[in-house]
Amino acid sequence: MSFPIRQLLLLLLASATLPVAAQSIAFTKDNFGDNKDGLREANRELKAGDEEYRADPPRYADALPHFLAAQEFNPNNAALNVKIGDCYLNSTSKTAALPFLQKAAKLDATADSRTHYLLARALHLSAKWREAIAEYQQATPVSSNTRNGETGTITPNDLQRRIQECRNGQQLVAHPTRVFIDNAGPELNSSASDYGPVVSADESTIVITSRREGSTGGKKDPTGNGYFEDIYQATWKGKTWSKATNLGAPVNTDDHNATVGLAPDGQRMLVYAGTNGGDLLETGLSGSTWDKPHRLNSRINTNSHETSASYSPDGRYLYFVSDREGGAGGSDIYKVDLEGKNTPVNLGSAINTAYGEEGAFMSPDGKTLYFSSEGHNSMGGYDIFKSVFENGKWSTPENLGWPINTPDDDVFFVASASGRHGYYSSDRPGGLGAKDIYRITFLGPEKQPLLSEEDQLLASRLAPVKQTVLAPAVAVATAQVTILKGTVTDDVTKQPVDAAIDLIDNTSGQTIATFRSNATSGRYLVSLPSGTNYGIVVRQEGYLFHSENFDLPAGAAFAEVVKDIPLKKLEVGTVIVLRNIFFDTGKATLRPESTAELERLQKLLTETPALKLEMAGHTDDVGEAAKNQDLSQRRAQAVVTYLTQHGVAAARLSAVGYGETKPEVPNTSKFNRQLNRRTEFKVTGK
Amino acid sequence: MVNQLLESIKSNIFACHALLSTYLLAMLQKTLFFFVLLGASFTARAQVDTVRASTLPGPQRAEKAYNSGLASFNAQSYPAALASFDQAIAAKPDFAAAYTNRAATRYELKEYAQALADYDQALKLEPGNYAGYFGRARAHEAQKELTEAENDYAEAVKAKPDYAPAWYNRGVLRFEKGDYQAARDDFDGAIKADPKMAYAYHDRASTQQKLGNYAAAAQDYTQALAVQPDLLSALLNRATAERRTGQLPQALKDYDAYLAKKTDNALAYNNRGSARFENKDYAGAIADFSQALQLDAKYAYAWNNRAAAQLKLEKFADAAADASAAIKLKPDYAEAYLNRGHAREMLRQADEACQDWRKAAELGIAVGNNYAAAAGCAGEAAE
Repeated sequence: MSFPIRQLLLLLLASATLPVAAQSIAFTKDNFGDNKDGLREANRELKAGDEEYRADPPRYADALPHFLAAQEFNPNNAALNVKIGDCYLNSTSKTAALPFLQKAAKLDATADSRTHYLLARALHLSAKWREAIAEYQQATPVSSNTRNGETGTITPNDLQRRIQECRNGQQLVAHPTRVFIDNAGPELNSSASDYGPVVSADESTIVITSRREGSTGGKKDPTGNGYFEDIYQATWKGKTWSKATNLGAPVNTDDHNATVGLAPDGQRMLVYAGTNGGDLLETGLSGSTWDKPHRLNSRINTNSHETSASYSPDGRYLYFVSDREGGAGGSDIYKVDLEGKNTPVNLGSAINTAYGEEGAFMSPDGKTLYFSSEGHNSMGGYDIFKSVFENGKWSTPENLGWPINTPDDDVFFVASASGRHGYYSSDRPGGLGAKDIYRITFLGPEKQPLLSEEDQLLASRLAPVKQTVLAPAVAVATAQVTILKGTVTDDVTKQPVDAAIDLIDNTSGQTIATFRSNATSGRYLVSLPSGTNYGIVVRQEGYLFHSENFDLPAGAAFAEVVKDIPLKKLEVGTVIVLRNIFFDTGKATLRPESTAELERLQKLLTETPALKLEMAGHTDDVGEAAKNQDLSQRRAQAVVTYLTQHGVAAARLSAVGYGETKPEVPNTSKFNRQLNRRTEFKVTGK
Repeated sequence: MVNQLLESIKSNIFACHALLSTYLLAMLQKTLFFFVLLGASFTARAQVDTVRASTLPGPQRAEKAYNSGLASFNAQSYPAALASFDQAIAAKPDFAAAYTNRAATRYELKEYAQALADYDQALKLEPGNYAGYFGRARAHEAQKELTEAENDYAEAVKAKPDYAPAWYNRGVLRFEKGDYQAARDDFDGAIKADPKMAYAYHDRASTQQKLGNYAAAAQDYTQALAVQPDLLSALLNRATAERRTGQLPQALKDYDAYLAKKTDNALAYNNRGSARFENKDYAGAIADFSQALQLDAKYAYAWNNRAAAQLKLEKFADAAADASAAIKLKPDYAEAYLNRGHAREMLRQADEACQDWRKAAELGIAVGNNYAAAAGCAGEAAE
């Protein structure tokens, strides 16, 4: 397309002003400035276009190129945009109308009802349902010519119906039909319009109508829709179709020849001839060539328009479409026996509506009728429906749904015997040009996937619990008691001593019992049931007390301990081990269990006022010597501190830590190390 | 035990030294200690010996070994326990309890045949002892001798009807063999014997679920949780019961509660994913299945289920890949074949889809044949 620079400048100028104040620019010299030639040419194109556009009936296809040429000079004229949109709406490229009509509406804020209606149609055909409804609602019924002289009647019923179609569309699009829609490929389709597929029941043969180049007679349609129709045939090669070939004479003639129906066995074919207002003809296959078609009888062909037909599976009946009088409105579908004499029967209101029905196809199952209708719940134009004849009546026609049906005309659908495939033509995007043949694969309702789950239903299998039942322990008399026995003697004379033996529960500090050793033999025996930290104090006047500790946890097994106790007189230099003084591990904090022993020591100091003691701390050899030394010192000091806090003069006490330097026994066992961890006192004065 | 000792002391001491004995006894009875003054006389010394002889009875080797075995058992030192029980039995061949406990030890050591022999012996020596029956039942169970196990649990139940574990264990066996009615009766018995037995509520709930009584199931799972709040499987299973009664929101809540506490259970993610799938939350479902796979990459169910969710989101290539992964892990996985068939159909791999649907049918999902037929697949339907 040539595009002179001066015109481009004008375009840019006009475009630049558009967003600020969208305004229609008239084809006047004010707006063309020096470009008088341009204005003249534009107006010439406009005039030529209008002549075609305003013809009765309008010749949209012829008008369009003129309007588009004028548009090149001035793209911002509202009325011209409307006309271009209108031409497109009446062409095979309907959706191309939308940008022009949207622009027209933008350029002319006071767009008239017809502009709204045309824009609504363009939106509708683009499946922009909501916006289309809004525009339809702005349009009002128009009964005659508009201000620009364009013809077009918009009835209230028309508006209402279009809105309803949009609503149907909204619903149908929300639940799309699960299909694959595949272009039948270059073997069948051409850049021209290819449509009207009919297939044999086994899908081995397909016959189509095409307006492609090479049409018999080579005539072109005056409406601009390409060449006259011819019939082509192809066969299925396993993965693709064979290249469609023109059936030639005698089926194809110089006139329109279109497919209508194919018998399930592919041996008979119904064709359409444009003569006599449109009639139906039949041809048979002789070997590999089709006979000369003969006109069907007058019960079928009338002066009215008979367009499409389909054989019943047994070939005895014909379902055909006719706009003859007495129908429900528009074209209707009729059934007739081919050989008999009966009058064709209108299929009735279940199928036929006040609007057009078209493209009847009886499925090879003999009861499922596919047909197109502008009525029922069409989403716009003709939609394809199916209805099943059962129990003497037709079921409510079911819209085959989006995306098979579109807001434009969807007609001439045929199905394979399996019902798995359907064939139809569509000018959907992505084709080879104009209308193309498509194969629909019906996927059926959504196939539900299956999930797998498992449960952990038995608690004990998931988390087993210990269930062993054991026979209980048996009573063994030796269990859980410690027998402590020995002799109490004077440390120096080795003579038996009649001493008091206190059993103290270190935890409570309470004296549990007090016993005495035998005065004569000095012998004693104490039974210590397990479960107590025992402090044992052996005491006698004139002697320093002797301290033993038996910490017997519950369950401690039987033991017999012989412990001879040499009681020591109170002499300077005497050393007494305080077995019942306890510290927290690694610390110099006195534990509460020490209280009884500390009180005893305090009592000794109180009763013997001249007594002076050196408190000594000892550790085992575990850990660093320096730390042990420090710990033992602090522990000795802790005892001194306790005593001074309980009224003993500090001067009578001293503290010394020996660390690990003075073990009582070698640090060779746990038991021995325990013996070595001790607190002692030494009498330093009395 | 101490009392026995006292009695023994009492009798001996009274005989020989009344005064001393009286003093002693008064003290002993009060404090449970005894302290014996050993008199200067030879007689007194002899008395002490008498006391010791009677209060510290014989060697009791069998009993000591037995108790030592028991201590070892409780410390889970089973070989040591076994040695001790061996000693006890050697020292006292009719020591029924030692057989019982040696059997228990052998059970722990997984020596089930020997355990059974020991339980046999224990029951021979002490017929009707529930512990023997119960233990032997467990050993039979471990040996997969389920009928014998069930019979022994029955004996245990008879011998000690208030012993809940015997009821419970028999219930579990009956559940596993699909006798849900009888299992439920057993769990009833267990709950009667021990109303605090959370497992019994839990498993009774599961029997209710199997019997289709989903509301009752949910109730029992709730009870199990009341008794034992950390019995999380009850949340998981209650969710299943709730889903069956159409209470999807509650089920999702239970899954959430479970997964808030336990994040390492692939099964739970798989199940919540399935619930989310039911709830049409396919993206959420995919997240859960992915998490399950992160925890256990060999979890075929999660692969298959993710494939299902991918199908819903029309991610057909992903769906096919996930289903393939499931099939690789579980070559007889019918559902995964079916799902892959769906994905492949949409990927326009018609022949492969046909093969998958046929395979699914062959593996037991008959509808696979219908899909194959409807899609015009060549070949015969799988039997």
